[in-house]
Amino acid sequence: MINVAGRKIAVDMPHFIFATGVAGWVAWFCWDAWHASSSIENLILIVPVSAVAIILYFFVAASCFQRIAESAELPASPRHPLAPGVGVKIAGSMALLIALVVAGPLVGFDVACFFYMLAMLAFLGERRIPVLLLVPPLFCVVVIYCFNTLLSTPLPLFFGERG
Amino acid sequence: MIDFTALTAALHLLTSSWQPWMVVIPGILIGLLVHAVPGLTTSMALAICLPLIPYMDFLQALIFMTAMYAGSVFGVAIPAILLNVPGSAAAVGTTFDGFPMARAGKHNEALGLALAASCFGQLVVYLLLLGLAGPIGAFALKLGPPEMLVLSIWGLTLIGTLRGRHISRGLLAGAFGLLLGTVGLSARGVPRGTFGLDLLLDGIPVVPAIVGLFAAAELFNLVGKEYIVEDLTQRRVQASRILAGMRQAFEYPGVLFRGAILGSGIGIIPGGHAIANLLSYSSARRAAKDPEKFGTGDPRGIVAAESANASSEGGSMATLLALGIPTGGATAVMLVAFSMHNITGGPSFMRDHADMVYAVILSSLAQVAVLAVVGFAFIFVAGFVVKVRLRMLVPTVLSLAVIGSFALAHNIAGPITLAVFAVIGWIMQRFDYPVSATVVGLLLGRRTEGDLLRTYQMSGGHFNFMFTRPIALLMLFLLAASMLFPYLKSGRARSAANKKVMAH
Repeated sequence: MINVAGRKIAVDMPHFIFATGVAGWVAWFCWDAWHASSSIENLILIVPVSAVAIILYFFVAASCFQRIAESAELPASPRHPLAPGVGVKIAGSMALLIALVVAGPLVGFDVACFFYMLAMLAFLGERRIPVLLLVPPLFCVVVIYCFNTLLSTPLPLFFGERG
Repeated sequence: MIDFTALTAALHLLTSSWQPWMVVIPGILIGLLVHAVPGLTTSMALAICLPLIPYMDFLQALIFMTAMYAGSVFGVAIPAILLNVPGSAAAVGTTFDGFPMARAGKHNEALGLALAASCFGQLVVYLLLLGLAGPIGAFALKLGPPEMLVLSIWGLTLIGTLRGRHISRGLLAGAFGLLLGTVGLSARGVPRGTFGLDLLLDGIPVVPAIVGLFAAAELFNLVGKEYIVEDLTQRRVQASRILAGMRQAFEYPGVLFRGAILGSGIGIIPGGHAIANLLSYSSARRAAKDPEKFGTGDPRGIVAAESANASSEGGSMATLLALGIPTGGATAVMLVAFSMHNITGGPSFMRDHADMVYAVILSSLAQVAVLAVVGFAFIFVAGFVVKVRLRMLVPTVLSLAVIGSFALAHNIAGPITLAVFAVIGWIMQRFDYPVSATVVGLLLGRRTEGDLLRTYQMSGGHFNFMFTRPIALLMLFLLAASMLFPYLKSGRARSAANKKVMAH
């Protein structure tokens, strides 16, 4: 909550930051396109759509600020709260997905996938040892073999020929 | 319109030997299986099977490829419904209502609806082709950039209908998607929004981005849960409920027909296959008395998207057979198969091999019946996905999606796109932005820009140029009418209600 000229204003800060991030990217993209070439062939769609997006951003940003009466309580969050522990699980799942994408080309998708499957299974609550021992290697062998046999683009691998 | 001599010859070709029919079931199964894995596409499957083509006679090869095509047209709907994973752009519309139905425990009915709508769409388009293959192909030649621009605008109006609870957020999400779709090299050959990365010169890989926005983001939401369908009693896979879903599709004959006719028309245009499902979904939603139900698990959404998706396949075949022009990756691979038998598609093919053209159409009609049976058995097996624990399903689907996106983009841009858009998609959902509006924008961004630019260049900047394009004008009129109709209808209903109140 912020105070402006003695008025209490509730701010949905996470949403405001996200919307500003989107608007910032739109403005940067428009500038980058203009900078690359200011010809109509280059900007025929980008400039009008960017202008509309920026106007819409102001409406969205304004909705993040809500004036509240002096005596009133702070309004409840506009979003339904996550169940306890779920936020950590979602953040962990995102981090592991990013780790898989980063590690894949570095160590090979076979090894990265194996560790990703193992880590995700354990992280999401799988405690049966046979499952943890069997599923990741089996998955990696079958999937990587199929993809590498069928597709013309070889995956970067640790074992076998590297793409 | 029908050349009965050629038709009789085609019947003779198809009935004189059982060999051409041997490839139908394997073809359909390959098509269905391909889309069970995120990242594999119909054109990939067709390309993988190309080495088999020289060992088949021409008719057998054509039937094999059309069977694969038919299977894959329905196959994309299965992960779209069960996992919210649209294996290709053609299944985006199916996810809007398919996944909410699956989450509500109506996965059997949803899959049945999709199968029936898909079979119906294919049936309609091949019946149309039987009489009108030549004229349909010739009509495709009359469509230029202005007409394509109108189609793109038609697709973009969907953003307005997908805006969700907050109009400004919905439209901002759509504009964001449109701009994302134009990242990469422009028509002037200058890079835009690439951060100096060569990987982005071809633009943002669309399918990995869609899988990230839709599927990965949704899978993150499921992380704390045990199963996709929480109610144990609803988790069963039941043939009777799949059949009930198939029957239910025919409770919406208007939606089915509109989708099939729209898809047939749009399919003949290059790239039309990808947007037919969206246009049909948008039209069905606009025509509905209760459009607010769309997106929450409404069967009409699946029927509209799937019937158009399936019939657009036949439209693509019309352009391929009549003009020798591929309208997408899959038909381009088919053209390669033609050349393996020293045959060129196009008017000369229609003239010299009319019996073969009819044989393909007749066999495709027969394939619809085979697809209904094989597809039913396949979804009975695929439906068991809802019985797999999410802690097993989430890492499996995400790993497959990452590897598949590498295969699609041929480089690391695919997996990076998937991860980045997975996070963006989840945040957008959290702040109540309609992710589907971004996806529609992303799908149509580059296409709209290209069509707009070509129309501008053709017109020399003069707006009255559009008056020299009767088809574009007619399409614009239909678009305006379809947009205004719901408002006129509700206005009339309101005034009738007011009169009633006054009378009392």
